[in-house]
Order: sequence, then C-alpha cells, then structure tokens
Amino acid sequence: MTKSQIANFSAERIVKSFGGARALSDVSMSVASGEVHCLAGENGSGKSTLIKVMSGVHAPDSGVIRLSGKELTELSPREAVQEGVQVIFQDFSLLPNLSVAENIALPNRIVNQTRLVSKRDTKRIASEALALIGVEMDIDTPVGEISIAQKQLIAIARATNLGAKLLFMDEPTTALTRKEINRLFSVVGQLKKRGVATVFVSHKIDEIQEICSTITVLRNGEVVAEGPMKKFTSKSISKAMTGQDVSTTRIAPKLKRSKKIVLEIKNLCSKHTFEDISIKVAFGEILGITGLLGSGRTELAEAIFGKYPIDSGEIYVEGKKIQLNSSPAALASGIGYVPPDRLTQGLFLEQSILRNLVAVGIDSYRTGVGTLSQRRLSGVGEKWITDLRIKTKNPYNPVTSLSGGNQQRVVLAKWLAMDPHLMILNGPTVGVDVGSKREILEIIKERATKGMSFLVVSDDIPELIQICHRVLVIKNGRISKEFGESQLKESILYKELN
Amino acid sequence: MSNPLQRFTTAGLLSDRKVTQLMVFAVLVFTIFSYISSDIFYTRENFSSMAYQVPEVAILSIAVMLSMLTGGIDLSIVGISNAAALVAAYILTKNMTEEGAITNSWILIACAAGIAMGLICGLINSVLIAILNITPILATLATMTLFNGIAIGITNGVSISSLPEQFVRIGTGTFYGIPSPFVVMVLIAIFAGFIINRTGLGLKVFLIGTNRKAAQYSVMGDRRVVAWTYLISGFLSSLAGLLIAARVSAASPDFGNSYILLAIVVVVLGGVNPMGGFGTVTGVVLATIVLQMVASGFNALRFSQFLYLAAQGGVLVLVMMLNVILDRIRTARSISKSLGA
Amino acid sequence: MSINLKRLLRRNETVLLVAIIIFSLIIGSRSTEFFTVANLFDILRSSFVQLIFALGVLIVIVSGGIDVSFPIVGIFAGYAAVVIMQKFELNSESLFIPILLAILIGVLLGGVNAVAIAGFGIPTLIATLGTAGVFRGVMLSFVGASFISDIPIALDEFSTADLIKFESESGFLVRLHVLVIPVAIITIFVHLLLTRTIFGRSVYSLGGGVEATRRLGISVKRTQIKIYLLVGGLSGLAGILYVSLQRKANPYDLAGSELDVIAAVVLGGASIMGGYGTVFGTVLGVLFINMIKNNLILLGVSSSWQRAAVGILLVIGITIQAIGENKRNKARRALTEAEGD
Repeated sequence: MTKSQIANFSAERIVKSFGGARALSDVSMSVASGEVHCLAGENGSGKSTLIKVMSGVHAPDSGVIRLSGKELTELSPREAVQEGVQVIFQDFSLLPNLSVAENIALPNRIVNQTRLVSKRDTKRIASEALALIGVEMDIDTPVGEISIAQKQLIAIARATNLGAKLLFMDEPTTALTRKEINRLFSVVGQLKKRGVATVFVSHKIDEIQEICSTITVLRNGEVVAEGPMKKFTSKSISKAMTGQDVSTTRIAPKLKRSKKIVLEIKNLCSKHTFEDISIKVAFGEILGITGLLGSGRTELAEAIFGKYPIDSGEIYVEGKKIQLNSSPAALASGIGYVPPDRLTQGLFLEQSILRNLVAVGIDSYRTGVGTLSQRRLSGVGEKWITDLRIKTKNPYNPVTSLSGGNQQRVVLAKWLAMDPHLMILNGPTVGVDVGSKREILEIIKERATKGMSFLVVSDDIPELIQICHRVLVIKNGRISKEFGESQLKESILYKELN
Repeated sequence: MSNPLQRFTTAGLLSDRKVTQLMVFAVLVFTIFSYISSDIFYTRENFSSMAYQVPEVAILSIAVMLSMLTGGIDLSIVGISNAAALVAAYILTKNMTEEGAITNSWILIACAAGIAMGLICGLINSVLIAILNITPILATLATMTLFNGIAIGITNGVSISSLPEQFVRIGTGTFYGIPSPFVVMVLIAIFAGFIINRTGLGLKVFLIGTNRKAAQYSVMGDRRVVAWTYLISGFLSSLAGLLIAARVSAASPDFGNSYILLAIVVVVLGGVNPMGGFGTVTGVVLATIVLQMVASGFNALRFSQFLYLAAQGGVLVLVMMLNVILDRIRTARSISKSLGA
Repeated sequence: MSINLKRLLRRNETVLLVAIIIFSLIIGSRSTEFFTVANLFDILRSSFVQLIFALGVLIVIVSGGIDVSFPIVGIFAGYAAVVIMQKFELNSESLFIPILLAILIGVLLGGVNAVAIAGFGIPTLIATLGTAGVFRGVMLSFVGASFISDIPIALDEFSTADLIKFESESGFLVRLHVLVIPVAIITIFVHLLLTRTIFGRSVYSLGGGVEATRRLGISVKRTQIKIYLLVGGLSGLAGILYVSLQRKANPYDLAGSELDVIAAVVLGGASIMGGYGTVFGTVLGVLFINMIKNNLILLGVSSSWQRAAVGILLVIGITIQAIGENKRNKARRALTEAEGD
C-alpha cells in the first residue's frame, strides 16, 4: 500500500432528480480499496439514490462515476457488476422462487457470462460462499420460505462470492442480533484485508463508529460533512445528519394519571412470533414499543389491529372484549393503524390528496340515499389539510406531489379523521424531513393531551424518548423490559436492545 | 381550480382530458368515413344499424371496465352472456305457441332467468377471486372455459333460434323513436356512472385498483367490493346477452367470441387504465361508438371483417404503445423542468 | 420423513400424477378399450402438437407473462408456409422447407410480440390479445381465407409416417407416429434450456421478480425478446406439424385452442404469477388433458362436453392450488413479514 491512498471508486458531482424532486445535488464521494467507508444520513437524505446511481440502476442527470479508475458517465447494472460493484439492498433483491443455492450462485454465473449451469456447481459455489461467512443452512430451500435474517446472510454470501471490489451495504444490521452483527463486522474485516472497498450505509451512529474509518454525511441530497472518522464524535455526526443539535428534551406531556384504561391486552400469543404479551394503556398515554427487526414488534402492532394472526389471548377496548383477527372489529372499537411503509401500504399514490384523506371512513360519508356527500367529503379534506398543515395548493392534486413529510401527514390525517381512541403508529417518522418530524410529534402530543392514546412502534430510540411516557422492549417475541418515565435514557435503551 | 384529471367526483361528461381527446377523435372518424363513403356510411340505415349493435358491446365493455378498475379483468363476459342468452332462449322457445307468440309474463320470466344465470356465473367468479384469492386472469380464463364448455355440452353446439316476435322486438324495436337497446344502454351507462362516481362502492373500487394493499390497510372491505364487482360484471354480461339474443333472434354457445378483444380495445381506447384505478363510463361508451363507426365504415368500404379484426388488435396495441410513449415524454419533460429550475 | 421427500410429495406434479393414475383407473374400469396400446398411442399422437405449443407457453408463464396469441401464430405460420410453397412452386417433396418457413414466420410474429412487450412494456395479456387479432386479421385478409386440401406432398405423407405400425389381435390399427422422437428431443431440450442455462434461469428469475432480476445484472429486455422469439418459433413449428397431421391447411383452425394448452400448463403446476413450473409438469398436463378429452366417449359422454371437461378440471385445479397457496401464505407470514424501512 502506497502512502497516498488512490481513490479507486468515486462519484463526482452527481446530480439526480425524479420528477420534480431533486434527490442528489452535486454529491461527491470517494472510497479506496480496503477502506470501510460510512455513508450516513437520515432516511430521505439521498443515500439510496446515490447507491443506485453508483450501481447503474439510475442514470445520473450529470456527474461522473469512476470505477477502478475508469471514468464512466453511463453505467448499466450489468457493467457495474462486471466492474465489481455489488449492492446489498435493504430488500435483498432475492428471488423467492429459486433456492438458496441458486440465489447465491446465479449472479456469479452472470458476471462470468457462463451459458450453462450445473446443479452440482451451483451447490458447491453456494456452500463455499456460506462457509466463508461461517453460516450453515439448507441450500435447497426456496428463498421464499426462509426468515429475514437468513435472507440477509444469503445476500451477503452472494455479494462476497462475486468477488466484489466495491460493496455497498444498505442498512445491513437492522435485522441482526448482536452476535450476527459481530459476525458481519468480522466478515467486513476480512473483506478489508482482501482489498475490497466497503461502503457501510447506516444511520446507527454507534455501529458506524465501530466499523468505519471514513465517513460521508448526506442531508437533503447534499454532502454536509466528510472525512476520517476520528475527526467526528457521535454528537457531530448526529448534528450533521439532522442539521440540529440532538434534542433530548422530552415533549411527552405530563400524564394526568387517569386510571381509565383504554386498551388492555392479555396473554396475546401468535405462534413463532410473540407470546404472553400483556399490556395496559391508559387514556391519553403514549406508549412506545421497540425491539430489533424480527423481534415481533411490528407483528404485535399489526395483530392488535387484526392484521396479523393471533392464536390466543384477549383484547379489551374500554373494558369491552373485541373480536380478534378482525380489522373491521378493531376499527369499529376505535383503533387506528398507520403502517410503516406509506408508499405501498398507506397511500394511493396516483389518487388525489382528498381521496387519500377520506379513504378510511368512506362509509361514514354516506347520505341517507346511499350516495357520497360531496360537501361533507370536501369539508373533511379542507379540515385536515388545515389542521395538520399539509402543504398543498390544491387538494385535488395527486398525493405524489407532496413531500415525504406531508405524505405522512396525509396518512395520519386519514386515521385521525376517524377519531380513534387509540392510534397505533408504526414508524411514524420514517423517511420524513426533520421539520415534519417535529410537527408529527407535536400532533401526537396535542392529541394525547386531549385524551387520545398512542402506541408508537419504532426503532428510533431518540424519538421514542422524546415522545413516550413509557417504552416496552420486545425481544424474541416477549416483552423483555418496561421503562418508565424516569428510566428513558438512550444508553439504557440501547443496552437492553442488544 | 380543480385539476380535471383528479376531480373528486367526476360529473361524468367532459371532465377527463382523455375523454375530450376521444370526442375529438370520434368526430374525426365520423367525418372521414362520411366523406369517403357518403352513400353507404352516411345513411339513416347505417346509423340505425349501428345504434342497434353498439349497446351490447357497450354494456359488455362497461362490465370489463368495472373489473379492470379494481385491478383485475373479467375474461368470462362472453361466456356469461351466451349462457344467459341460452337460458332465456330455452324458456322462450319452450313456452311459445306454434306461431311464435308468447305472453309477456313468460318474457319476463325468461329475462329474469337469464339475469339469474348471469348472477350465478358472476358469483362463481366472485368466489374464486375474492374468497380464494385466485388471480383474476386465471380465474376468469377458467370460468370462461367452464361456462362456454357447459353451454356447448348442453346444446351440443346447436343454437336456439327463431325466438318469439315479442321478445325480438326488444332488440329490434324502438322506444319513442330511439332504438330500444340504445335506451337500455343509456340507462345502464347512467347507472354504472352513478355507482362509480357517486357512491362509496365506486370510490372504493378506484382505491382498490390503485393500491390493493393500502386498501386493505384502510379497512374498506376490499374483498367484498371485489366480489360485488364480479357479480355486477356477470349481471351486465347477462343483460348484454339478452340484448344480443333479441337482436339476432337466436342464442348460441359460441356467439361473439371476438367480443372479448373488442371489449378490451374499447376499454383501453376509452381511457381506462389496464392496471386499475382510473376510467370513465363516458369514455367507454364513446370508444364503443368510435369502434362501431370503424366497423361500419370498413363495411361500407368493402373491407373484409378480418381487416376489422386486425384493426381492433392494431388499435389496442397502438393505443397502449401511445400511452407508454406519452408517459415517457411526460417524465422526461418534468425531469428537464426540474433541472432547468 | 426427510424434508426433501416431503417437499416432493407436496409438489403439483406429484398430485397431477396421482390424478392421472386415478382417472386412468376410473376410465379403464369402465371400458376395456382404455388400457390398450392403440389408445395410448392415440393419446400421444393428439398430444404432440399441443405439447410443443405448451412448452412455449410454459416458458412465457414461468417468466411471469401470458401469451394468448400462440395458436394464431401457429396456424399463420403453417398456413402461410403452405401458401408460399404453392405460390413460389417450391419443392413440394421437401419436408425441410415448409418446416423451416413456418419456424421463421413464427419467429417473425414472435418478434412483434417481443416489440410490444419488451420494447413498450405493454402488459402481456393485452399485448398478445391485440397481436392475436392483428395476426388473425392479417392472415385472413392478405394470406388467404380459403381451405387448402392439397398440401405439399411431403407434408401430406408425413402424417402417416409411423414409427411403429401393426394390427392388433382385435383388428385395430396401432400406430405410433415418428414425431414421438423429435417431440421428445424438443421436450428434453426445453427442459435443459430452462434448468441448465443462464437464459433458462433468467426466465425463472424474471418470474420471481423483475426488479430483483435487473439488479442481478440480467437484461430483462433481452431475456424477454429471446422468450417471445423462441415461443414464436415453437408455435410456428407446432403449426406446420398440425397442418401436416391434419393433412389440410385451414386458416380457421386452432383458434380457441389456447384455453386447452394454458389449462394443461397451469394444471401441470406452472403458476400464472411466474417463477414456478416444470417441463415434466407440462408434459403431464398435456397428457392429462388429452387423456380426458379423447376418452370421454369411453365414459359414455359425448364429445361436445370436451371443453366443459377441461373447464371443470381447470376450475378444480386452480381451486386446489389456491387453497394450498393460501395455507402456505399464512405459515409464511411468521417468517417473512418485512418492514418497509
């Protein structure tokens, strides 16, 4: 290794827009062989777009990509793969109908442009790749049948097997236990020794500091900070990512200790997912639920709303027992649910903002005759656009014309319009700009003071600390610990999670 | 103020940009054919015969539109319409006198039976699609085979013809000067338009077609809506079948096999999004008229019916290609706009 | 029971094999004619053309699409090949020329599909519905609409080219057509293509997910083009073989047979959503459908019920598949409920 590290891979002055929204403005990043580089930023900062540009999935509007010293302005996914660019996306890009072995070995063949494949070779390649990262599993199983955590390991095996020269890992640790994170880090270490350039994309500051030697921070599509990791503290990284000093001020209101319980869950069980869950939520209380991905926290939230199968247990709303496994029953008893992925689960993208706002309560807008009352519908629309300060010039515009934060508000409004007793929010501020984040938290606080209860499921610890009265940690499908008001500190919660 | 493409409640008539374009296109086609073949095309008989054929296609197309709006498709419409026609024709012929006369009550019973058949077929589709979650293409492909097959089996491939005069009058007579089938079509169109634009069911149909997952998370009873959609589609198909039987005074298991392609061409030309979520009844009716004009225009110009078939397929593929090209232009334009900004 | 054995038993092909055995026993118990070599060879003979079509359809369905234009491509290619041979007075004693012609025409027509689907991204059902209309219309308008009974000698004689031919004790003619060899070779070839080549795995990959496939560096467009060209060629081959076996070129033939072929492929275990399906299953499916259709008579059922039989089997088949799929989805939720981060 010469003293001056040659930047083998770089993106220079990349600009990329989608429709009217600018995703990347003049972004540059460089990584050398054997370097572990962190690409940090909040959701919506442009990290994913940059990765897609560097791997040929999106063509940049302007700018240059340099791979192994070669300058390229146009890059196809195939060429990127041939140049050694490998991306492990958050959704892993695995093929559910093909076996584990094929998912690992197939890309290898494509890169080598082999025409023929033999089953024996495929199995051999796959076994070797898995052995390299110390994993054992049945390689004949179709990928559609295995767990998320296993899928991620396969994605990693696939990428390492391809002899990647530049490896992007997009939020790789979200589904891993501490043990698996350690294993991942040791694999990254091995890659480093072999001269692979790794870009570790994450917003988890403590992990970044452990594994990366250099960092680039993106915010709103621009590079706001970069350099060797030693020059940064967790505070400065956080400030760069969010643009503000981390607010540790709690905005959770003083709970008027009303003994009235709005929601009581007794011994809820769902095979293989969670068991023996018992929770009590009071009127006006904001309860946080957290845990690693795969811990059962999302499944629990959806189960309360009837969207995930419950095998046994009881749910009482305002003292009345409600039917399990029925979303209509949950809705009727006053429970609402904001799903984690607004694009695929929460919004009707091509439809108007107005139609999105009334989507839940359609039946309640009927006139006596059975038709929809236009007046009432547009009235509802106007009300919520004003109430939640949704920035739009025209409620009849498609909801795609809104920013992420405003879109999230639409989803929120859709449910608030039903005036629920209890709102379950799953990842309410994911992919939302800082300003909207604050506002959404304010909205939650405002409603809570008026008596609405909230169940906030999230892996954003600082956010939970800000807004919740108490926080439950779910581990392996069980409530491992409950943290009351006085115990809500980041370090404590992180420790319990790991 | 309101963006015409996204009006909350489409009043129905000129509210959609695609519909206005279609209207212009319709006038164009009309003018061209009238000019080229003024002696055959531009005649009362021609318009009259068109007015008798349009309704059955329009009603079938509305049926396809409904299923398409929810993001699926009903390929069994012709199978259902023939089944309904056969049921009605059987009852009619069994209960008419030697001279071909029949009481009004028997006509009503026959029609009711035909409609009931349509509802039963629609119910089968609903069960397969809404309850068993079978994807609509596959389910309706299967039921299309089933309905068609049973019809052929029962009739041995022989059509039932010479239906009673009083019944045939429905398909060939007039109602205050307007061809009766046309009146039926207008009523159906108004009814369908009312449902999709003014009722909760209609709004749900649009939302389900736009994003089924989000519709499920919004707890709007999406399964029930889908079930109703295929039930209504079956109902409409049976009505079309009755109209056809009245018009040609016969019912056969294999009539109108090319109507499926025609209905889909009509629907796509009429501005319905094949992926679901968007479409208007006005567009569909207009498109039916345009295609009927093309048919009779071809006929007047002595083009073979096969050329018309090729034209249908061609229009379908071209319109779809056009949509894709326009879409690409639109995206490119907005990208350059944002870069320039 | 080892996990692999369990998986094997649950597979669609196994269930189908069992169904074939059961049905054989039922039919065989009702009629002694069933389990004769003559009958079995007959089933094979009627399956050849269908199987070649079905292999093409299998490839398309595994890739996640659907093609309804293949029978039209087939008859177009077969008919046009004969017409060309006659028009240009090509050597009518050559078997090779018409077959080559038909395959080329099939590939060309498949190219049209490729442009519509790969080039413009038109949904496969709509695209092929449209191209089917165009092909049929163009053929009947420009290539010819008349029935040709004096087909080139080589083709005509080929229909009686039997590999095995003898008279059984009861006086029945037992014939196994020589086609059994090339068809078997093609079948094995397609199997190897799908399982042992990157192209084949790309087809499965496409069915598993378009975006994921793209990210693997596979050119989605190029794969699709290859698919539709290949299917076109296979369909063209099937078409000319059909013409030969029927000893006539009738441009009205084969239309409507897409239902039987698709039914065979679906019953054989190919999922219409894509990503699943095997050649073995398709072979079983074709044999099953033909076994039922050919032998209805032995059960005392008239041949006009053939389509209904296919329809019933298809509906039952997809219902069973759907119930199994729904059960599997419930179990899968526990493992793969992913959060959209």
